[in-house]
Amino acid sequence: MRRVVAVAGILALAVLLVTFPIWTADWESSRYATTILRDMLVLAILALSLDLLVGVAGMPSLGHAAFFGTGAYAAAIAAQRLGNDDLLVGLGAAIAVAALLAFGIGLFAVRAAGIFFLMLTLAFAQMVFAVAFQAVDLTGGSNGLAGVHRPTLAGLDFNGADALYQLVAVLFLLVLVLSWRIRSSTYGRALAGLRENERRMRALGYDTTRLKLSAFVLAGAIAGVGGALSAYSLRFVSTNDVGVGRSIEAFVSVLIGGTGTLIGPVVGAVVVLYIERVLPSSIPFAETVLGLVFVVFVVAARQGIVGLAVATYARVRR
Amino acid sequence: MKTSDVRISRRKFLIATSATALAAACGAATPSATSAPSSAAAATAVASATPGKPLKIGQLLPFTKVYAELGNSMKRATDLYLKQKGNKLSNRPVTLIYEDEANDPAVGAQKTQKFIEQDQVDLMMGIVATPIAYAVRNAIDSAKMIFIETNAGGNALTRTTNNCTPACKSKYIFRASFSSWQISNPIGTYFATKKGVKEAFTFVADYGFGTESQADFTNAFQAAGGKVTGTLKAPLGSADFLPFVTQLKAQPTKDIYSFFSGTDAINYIKAWNQLGMPAAGYKMNGAGFLTEQDVLKEVKDQANGAVTSLFWAVTLDNAENKAFVDAYQKEYNLLPDVFALQAWDGMTAVDLALQATKGDTSNKDAFVAALEGVKFNSPRGAFEFDKDTHNVIQDIYIRQVAVQGGNAVNTILDKVARVTDPGK
Amino acid sequence: MSPEVFVQQALNGISFGALLFILAAGLSLIFGMMDVVNLAHGAFYMLGAYVTLAIVQRTGQFWLALFVAPAVVGLLGLILEPLLLRRLRGRHLDQVLLTIGVSLVIADLLGLTFGREIHSIPLPAGLDRSTQILGSDYPVYRLFVIAFGVALAAALTLIHRRTRLGALIRAGVDDAQMLDALGVDIDRLFSRTFASGAALAGLAGVIAAPVFGIFPGMDVDALIYSLIVVVVGGLGSLSGAIAGAGLVGPADTFGKVLFPQFALALIFAIMALVLLLRPTGLLGRVRIVR
Repeated sequence: MRRVVAVAGILALAVLLVTFPIWTADWESSRYATTILRDMLVLAILALSLDLLVGVAGMPSLGHAAFFGTGAYAAAIAAQRLGNDDLLVGLGAAIAVAALLAFGIGLFAVRAAGIFFLMLTLAFAQMVFAVAFQAVDLTGGSNGLAGVHRPTLAGLDFNGADALYQLVAVLFLLVLVLSWRIRSSTYGRALAGLRENERRMRALGYDTTRLKLSAFVLAGAIAGVGGALSAYSLRFVSTNDVGVGRSIEAFVSVLIGGTGTLIGPVVGAVVVLYIERVLPSSIPFAETVLGLVFVVFVVAARQGIVGLAVATYARVRR
Repeated sequence: MKTSDVRISRRKFLIATSATALAAACGAATPSATSAPSSAAAATAVASATPGKPLKIGQLLPFTKVYAELGNSMKRATDLYLKQKGNKLSNRPVTLIYEDEANDPAVGAQKTQKFIEQDQVDLMMGIVATPIAYAVRNAIDSAKMIFIETNAGGNALTRTTNNCTPACKSKYIFRASFSSWQISNPIGTYFATKKGVKEAFTFVADYGFGTESQADFTNAFQAAGGKVTGTLKAPLGSADFLPFVTQLKAQPTKDIYSFFSGTDAINYIKAWNQLGMPAAGYKMNGAGFLTEQDVLKEVKDQANGAVTSLFWAVTLDNAENKAFVDAYQKEYNLLPDVFALQAWDGMTAVDLALQATKGDTSNKDAFVAALEGVKFNSPRGAFEFDKDTHNVIQDIYIRQVAVQGGNAVNTILDKVARVTDPGK
Repeated sequence: MSPEVFVQQALNGISFGALLFILAAGLSLIFGMMDVVNLAHGAFYMLGAYVTLAIVQRTGQFWLALFVAPAVVGLLGLILEPLLLRRLRGRHLDQVLLTIGVSLVIADLLGLTFGREIHSIPLPAGLDRSTQILGSDYPVYRLFVIAFGVALAAALTLIHRRTRLGALIRAGVDDAQMLDALGVDIDRLFSRTFASGAALAGLAGVIAAPVFGIFPGMDVDALIYSLIVVVVGGLGSLSGAIAGAGLVGPADTFGKVLFPQFALALIFAIMALVLLLRPTGLLGRVRIVR
């Protein structure tokens, strides 16, 4: 019975999320709220994909924007060069290119662990940034890639702001479900085993390098989806989207929200984007606030926001 | 400092709820967004007899990251202009809403949506970095939002381009600053003709703006009979200029054309002197940002003799400039810079257009027509918008750095009148 | 490239490398000793530069800043370590988040205090001229930077090898728990190590200020360069920081003038290559990471 209630509740939340622009339509500023929520969900997708590495498999990547940005460029360029606005083409290109890049980088990067893995992913991501910056004919270089077309799918046109939001929301939910399925699968448990004790996994007969590489490619592909959605949302791709700033944004979202939890990266993305983009409208020292929030969370909430919430809940129950 | 509606309403639900949640969650003294003080809103609350409908202007400027001081400067000029007008333009009390674009196109795009969707501003102004202007161009165009660009100089913003890549002109976009062509092409012609330079070498920052400036200079210089003997580009994030200046010194062409600004310009000029370039006969020249005040006040006499081109100089001798510089100095105890001037002229253009429409901004076509008809004497000289492209038509000054009364300043060598960007 | 130009560029590269060594030495020390990834290192460097600016603007005394700035930054480190970092021992990800947070706060507060204008300070008196090298002018200050970097490397090596403190540090890098078991006050040792590392970043801020200027955002570039140097050289080893700086400085300099198209990626490519061939860096020792 409780399970039925829980499932019904989650479904209701999902429907509320997707229909957000509809039931808030008569609110005075539902338009901008929809825009903010859309951008939060895009960052949440990136954070969810990164948490597969950081939280599940214990691979702290500081270069995840490489795949996000590559996905964004791929979706934009595919639509432009092929003259085809089909969503499957754009998303397909984003996933394929981001996954391919992740495979290439992963071949080298997954041989390192811990802080070396972090540095290696940062280094490769900076190389991708350098290529994006210099390949002016393809990416527009520092001027960026403007006029990205919003996609269509089987007669549905996602050009309108609400339609695009709903596309983002639906894909976000799909990514969320996928992340949940991965975590509870044997594959996900094997990844968690890597985090806990890689040597033991090897002793148990797992090809840990291959396992890590597969996680890296999977996370890269999902980040590519986020990138494509970012390109559609902003109708613009800039070198910032492959830059270290974006990587750090995703990384701190995961850590603040709580690593290894399904909902943590989502909460973290919401909080980080709020402080970075909404709060500065009201106060002149938002960067200080963001910094203090990091410090407070590390000191006060070891397992991130979600960890804190779970602990508080447990204390109240007792 | 930054203003928004003080009124708490459901429109602010996102800000209010999430701020509360955040404050509750982390237990920190996070200031609630909705209770933040708003100086400009308070200032505009004072109204005289029968004021018109409030006029909201959204200003998208950098207040953090590397261009922060440019944003501060532009804000100072904007605030000063309004203060002089009693915070009213055409009898409409003005509310300024400042937003930080943080030098990130994604942030700029989002803040533009805020201006359009939440604040529903009547006009938008600002934007320092070209990529951000390109990023928001389509959103502004489709929302029919009147936008006055007050810095970014990327040529494409006011031109007809193939496929609108990387950007293109819009009926609703006016540029009160400059195009990179305007600050790079005339000096090329000047060099080959009036200055009698036969050969030049170019050294620019390797990004969109530097590349454009280098190409526009080269085309003009070569069309007038000069020869560009070579090019050097400094990659992004080059802090140490000694290696580049070493390369410049190792080649024989004495006249160097450069595009750098800010910290890069300072480090470049210092390395230039440390390697004894002046004594070896090399001459530093460039687009005007190389020797603007932010640079000159740091390098003092080290840029002496450098010839650069820009549409203004703080020393420009005309009544409007004197009034502008005096008022700015009196208010802030600072010399205005070119960024302040651009914001000032943007406000003047808006003011005059409002006068022409009797304060009406609701009829976008009428307001666009009014802006197209704006003509005035700016501190930089005669100012008007090109009706085809909406880029400013302006005089370009060839300036030379000299030390006067202990301060390094740009003295005017020559003027190229009514320079119009070749865009169609 | 003629031999004269080559020599000059080599000098440019070596002086850049010397600066990178001063910058990276503190980061390397903190990592090696405490196993802490200090991403606030760039902000410490920035703080050192701004303290220098304040002192030079008020007194005109660059040499005063050479002592005061590292002291100020070191003091901050002495406060931060027991206050925030101590409880995070062994938790790398939390250390990353914490130090990113600290650096955001420092950089933002510096902007609020000093304003966000770009600044530059003149070369210190006595070192502000150029000398002749192979018939061409060369700034004396760059030669000073090289000498300073070499002297610092020698001094640190001496401390490392010959003193009791050095012995403790060497032992701590190998096994901090063992030191603890032997009765060494590890808390005190760690807070002093952190303060020394921070002070070295501040020192780099002083030395670099007349060359690179003082401006918002200077912390990020410095952090990335110092990370590259310690990773290339080998995390946590002094000789590694020397080797890393010696490789990265000249490589970056020659890369920028010879292959400007690839310069942006060059040093990262070097870092990736080194890590792939020697996963612990040029002179890093094998250690179980995580």
